[in-house]
Amino acid sequence: MSNGEAKPSQALGFLTVLEHEQQGLVGGYLILNTSGRPLEFHCTAPVKPSRAQRILFGPTLEPYLYGEQIGQTLLAKGSIEPLAVYTDVERVLSVRDFVSLPVALVFAGNPSPPATDTTIAGSQWRVDVPHRAGPHLHSFEIGTNRLAVAANRAGDEGRIAGALDTLATFDLSEPFERIREAVEEAHRGPRG
Amino acid sequence: MAADGSLHWTPALGVSVVSVQSTLEARAASGDWAASALAGPAVTIVGGSIFTNLVQAVSLPIAAPKLKVISFQFPQPGGWRAKLSVNAGSPPVGAAKNLPPATATDAAVPPKKPTRTRIKPPGDIVKLEDRLFYMLQPSLESLVGEGSLAFPFHPFPYQFEGVAFLYPRYAAILADEMGLGKTMQAITAVRMLLHAGELSSVLFVCPKPLVTNWQREFSQWAPEVPVSVIEGDQAKRRWQWQQSDMPVKIANYELLQRDRELAAELGLEFDLVVLDEAQRIKNRASATSQCVRDLSRRRSWALTGTPVENSPQDLVGIFEFLAPGYLSDTMKPRKMGLAAADYVLRRTKDRVLSDLPPKMFRDADVELSAEQRETYQLAEQEGVLRLTEMGHEATIQHVFELILRLKQICNFDPASGESSKFERLAADLDEVAASGRKAIIFSQWVSTLDTLSARLAHLRPLAYHGRVPANKRDDVLAEFREDPARQVMLLSYGAGGVGLNLQFASYVFLFDRWWNPAVEDQAINRAHRIGAAGPVTVTRFLTLGTIEERIDQVLREKREIFDTIFSDVEPRRNLGLTQQEIFGLFQLRCPSGPIDLAA
Repeated sequence: MSNGEAKPSQALGFLTVLEHEQQGLVGGYLILNTSGRPLEFHCTAPVKPSRAQRILFGPTLEPYLYGEQIGQTLLAKGSIEPLAVYTDVERVLSVRDFVSLPVALVFAGNPSPPATDTTIAGSQWRVDVPHRAGPHLHSFEIGTNRLAVAANRAGDEGRIAGALDTLATFDLSEPFERIREAVEEAHRGPRG
Repeated sequence: MAADGSLHWTPALGVSVVSVQSTLEARAASGDWAASALAGPAVTIVGGSIFTNLVQAVSLPIAAPKLKVISFQFPQPGGWRAKLSVNAGSPPVGAAKNLPPATATDAAVPPKKPTRTRIKPPGDIVKLEDRLFYMLQPSLESLVGEGSLAFPFHPFPYQFEGVAFLYPRYAAILADEMGLGKTMQAITAVRMLLHAGELSSVLFVCPKPLVTNWQREFSQWAPEVPVSVIEGDQAKRRWQWQQSDMPVKIANYELLQRDRELAAELGLEFDLVVLDEAQRIKNRASATSQCVRDLSRRRSWALTGTPVENSPQDLVGIFEFLAPGYLSDTMKPRKMGLAAADYVLRRTKDRVLSDLPPKMFRDADVELSAEQRETYQLAEQEGVLRLTEMGHEATIQHVFELILRLKQICNFDPASGESSKFERLAADLDEVAASGRKAIIFSQWVSTLDTLSARLAHLRPLAYHGRVPANKRDDVLAEFREDPARQVMLLSYGAGGVGLNLQFASYVFLFDRWWNPAVEDQAINRAHRIGAAGPVTVTRFLTLGTIEERIDQVLREKREIFDTIFSDVEPRRNLGLTQQEIFGLFQLRCPSGPIDLAA
């Protein structure tokens, strides 16, 4: 339940980007207190990259859209600075390059542990496990949650663990369901 | 790259063209032709440039315009809860907390698989911020494990849905069938709203016999919530009404009427008023209805297993408390059902409780004994004759009097004391006694219950009816529940028909029939409810060829009315009772027009 004494420093951020076939990308950012109650919600208007952006950004387009344009904008809108930010979209991890907050990827379900040295010389292996962490990710477990940070941000693990100190069994994937529903509702607008 | 993010590109085309023009002029031969032959042709060199015409700048916008963001900030709780320390040190949402497993007698049992029940805003909440506030709340199941919201048992999934239904609503009817836990759902929704800081002053209004039941349920499902029962003399009540540190107050309907002026004088205002057994306000003209409608409140909830007892107008009456004017008497049942759909949640045991033991009906059709038949026929003939002689002066009250007299004869012949029903009942109860199970027997009249009590003395039956003092009733229930030697309890529909939890009884006998099928359902569901350990057998007595058989036909038609409003089935015809139909029970003619049958 809502904690009347909840301090801003005890908040957690949940950031995701939804892909809409026609409208493009929509970002949603939910800040919860440690009781799971909503404190703030921010969502973006749809973002659709132009043809020129596709051509000129090339492989850097997605990190740019997910991290710099959507992620950074949304995090800047929050009036409360959370202990950490969680996302269920790996590309959103790129926002870490623009903010000082630790950003962690939350694995949905219960995927197999990510391996960083599974490449067998001379062979290429494809394993269709969603969100499988590759060598660019540093993964770890906290309570019942499986998380990862960018490999070059492995030092964030300590801060993430500290944020979840009393939330060992908090299901970090659950708030993303709320964001998805809220984004849809927000884009439908008021009723009546 | 330009400052505006555009990319400007100038192709570097540096091309110069040189053309050489040679001209061979035709000259006329002269005398010195040799000199002319040695002279070269005339050559002109022309220089030109194509720079200016071919260079173009191409601009490709690659920097997106500033991203538009919609932001919402939600209020945080304060109110009564901030004054308490119940949350101090409590683990947060999602913290593992193993709830005790439910037993057969618990009010709820663990669900088979984990579910997530989310709050959905109703259609009448139009402000986007308000809608998002409800949508972004955590799942109700996650709150159950929270330390400050401990639950004695894990609620059923449908109960979470009921809580999620009530939570965001300002006007709502929880119309679950009896026995599905309306009390627990209402208490849990109120508890969550109190903790969320959305409520700080709630009034529950219920029938007087159920006040202790509500107290008990609050202590079980919301032990940390302070509850005050309004009672005692006026000075005490005045003080209780004004207690601001009691977020929940419980009052009975009769007391509320007594304190109507006091409430107005004190300027009482509530965040929420919950009416239990809300069918009590179906008659808009009644003092009870007017009294509750006078209460100043932001939210209005009604709890009833029978939102429609006699006619669709019953529902209109309840809506006058919830949303005055939203429904009207002139609406057709189907249209009324559609209009009310977003405000009413109605579940039946068959749909939501696959685990609940079956309910088996036995229609015990008995023939009157010879002497009973003689008495009955004489009474009917005399009565009908009298009504006929009265002509247009005969009122519905006269007809009711005749009906009640005939029904009493169907129970026991006042002349001989004979009773075919009792003979059948006695035989059944011998079987019940031998099985070691318990049975409850309902009748409309305390006099009939007294007669049954005397004739069943060998079974030492307990009695629960209007003449049993209120302060003794809980003891009676406890003895029936705990003493294995007490296997039979006699109840009146009025006193025992609502609010009692008798799920340890396996047999229900309806010794005579009530006017209203909903009241009969209430009685049956005292035993057939959550926690029932085995099947419940319901025996409905009916004497053939009597007024009881004709009334049974009326009851069937009333059920069809209910089904029409609360299902998608097209109504077959208007089944509202008319005065003519009541008179028709005796093949009598009468002035036409609708009547309001006694419940």
